[in-house]
Amino acid sequence: MRESGVIQNYALFGAAAQMRYTEPVATLDADVLVAVNSPESLDVLREIYEFCAVRGFPAEGEAIRVGAWPTQFVPAFDPLTREAMEQAETADFEGVPLRVVRADHLAVIALSVGRARDFARILALLESGCVSREAIAGLATRHGLKEAWRRFESRFFDA
Amino acid sequence: MRDIQKLLERQARWQKERAALSWPEKIRMAEAIRESAKLLREGAKAPDRESPRRQRAPLTER
Repeated sequence: MRESGVIQNYALFGAAAQMRYTEPVATLDADVLVAVNSPESLDVLREIYEFCAVRGFPAEGEAIRVGAWPTQFVPAFDPLTREAMEQAETADFEGVPLRVVRADHLAVIALSVGRARDFARILALLESGCVSREAIAGLATRHGLKEAWRRFESRFFDA
Repeated sequence: MRDIQKLLERQARWQKERAALSWPEKIRMAEAIRESAKLLREGAKAPDRESPRRQRAPLTER
């Protein structure tokens, strides 16, 4: 899709990316951050949907089914998600190179969303040892989430 | 109490073992979890007449 010019860049994030570091978690779909050609357009994902439909990957509501996974394409929408996508790592998935968002970005994106399941993701990433509280604090501060991180630490770590 | 402690320790060991699996293995496991969850959800949504409680009702009414 990138080679065809439909998207400029991409990176897997969300639960599927989290599982690189933690034990498996229940999830319904795969989430992919994308940099699209016309982010200002009202229908930013149209080209992706058309590209996939032609190749036999049908749309299912908000997602596109790729193999067993309904896959949601989310345009990188702010400096944090753009940085996460640009600095993603290339992981090997059974011989296929796949760009995947780093653990620290996964944690800070989860912090910015702020639901209970997102907090659980941060805790799981910390427990796996793939990211430190200091690394999250630094990244969170850089993206205007210092206060959110302070509240998180106070809720989950302070006695 | 000692049994519970053993159980928790065993569970923690399983969790660590699962976390140490390869990424593709964990994704496959998540697929299996999702399929099971889907089946459970479909079971929960099934019409009342198919539920065992509903099927037993006429017996209790007799």
